[in-house]
Amino acid sequence: MTRAPRPSTLKSLASAGVVLLCCAEMANAHAWSLTVNAASRRVYLHVGNGTFEGNNGTINLVQVSVPFNLVGNGAAQAMTSNSTQNISLQGDGYNTCPTPASQVMIGASYRRSNAGNGPASATLSVTSPTSLTNAAGDTIPFSQISWTVSAPGSDVPNVIPAGTFNGGTQTLATVPANRHIENCHTYSYANNAVVAAGTYNGRVTYTLSSP
Amino acid sequence: MKAWRLVLLAALTALVSAASLANPHRLDDSLSHTVPPNVQMQWRPVPPGQSDAGGMEAWLRVNVRINTRDWAGRNGRVYMVLPRDQASTIEAVWTTQGRLQPGRLVSGERTLVYAGQLPGATLEDQLQVRLRSGPDWQSSSRRLNFHFELDVD
Repeated sequence: MTRAPRPSTLKSLASAGVVLLCCAEMANAHAWSLTVNAASRRVYLHVGNGTFEGNNGTINLVQVSVPFNLVGNGAAQAMTSNSTQNISLQGDGYNTCPTPASQVMIGASYRRSNAGNGPASATLSVTSPTSLTNAAGDTIPFSQISWTVSAPGSDVPNVIPAGTFNGGTQTLATVPANRHIENCHTYSYANNAVVAAGTYNGRVTYTLSSP
Repeated sequence: MKAWRLVLLAALTALVSAASLANPHRLDDSLSHTVPPNVQMQWRPVPPGQSDAGGMEAWLRVNVRINTRDWAGRNGRVYMVLPRDQASTIEAVWTTQGRLQPGRLVSGERTLVYAGQLPGATLEDQLQVRLRSGPDWQSSSRRLNFHFELDVD
């Protein structure tokens, strides 16, 4: 005699079939997968001649020779630069500093990959010594040197503002994360005092920092 | 006894048929692998004044081997899929050796890589892939789980 199966048996078998199919679907491995690490946090600064994404030891020279009959007459003297950097290093070919012989391009960027990767901005500053000095020890206050800024065609040509050196450290700009700021600085000597003849030297240092 | 066997057979047949017809079907590509196995993103340039224009990018090779044994001879379309893992999207752009189609895929979407009759037990190709993303991740690393799925005609 054939007995009809109990309904519960059918249900169990049908359920087993479903479980089997689900397992077959889930057993598939998927190997086109990988871990991607974000780029590291980074600050990038170039002053004058620079190299994109690389180190460049160039220290550009800005100078002026004041004719003896004009020394100390208060007429500001434009300074020249030995920088040749006119095209932006950011790869867009932009001619940021069309006359580099009288300009120094300054560009700064700060990169972070996520909010936990560092502060929201970096700080651009410049440090100048109190004075320029000559071989005899005579001095000219660094505050005699100022700069104007430009960036032809830019909506923010003064993104790094004009100013005057103060013989210390002064903050120039805040660089938001994942932004690049850049413009050209043109220097001038105020020529407000009669000073001894000689060649006066001094070095300013631009710094981009993010704690 | 016969009656319940028939019922069971019909139930299982129906389940199998439903599985066959319920597109898409996730494909087994467990023999695929990437070179390198993990990648390090590099920064892209940020043009002056443009916020967030320069994200990150990386390149890699993927040796793709998709198991199509169960579908050999059937017509269909194979898609590459990248599920969205976080709000910051990932873009993959790739070239191929010709078996699969080159293309572009953004996380959360799928892109056609093969259409036509599945020729045999496997679909194989080598992809050269460029990954790009914005600089707005939620963490310093993330796992990308690409996979392939099939729509059978």
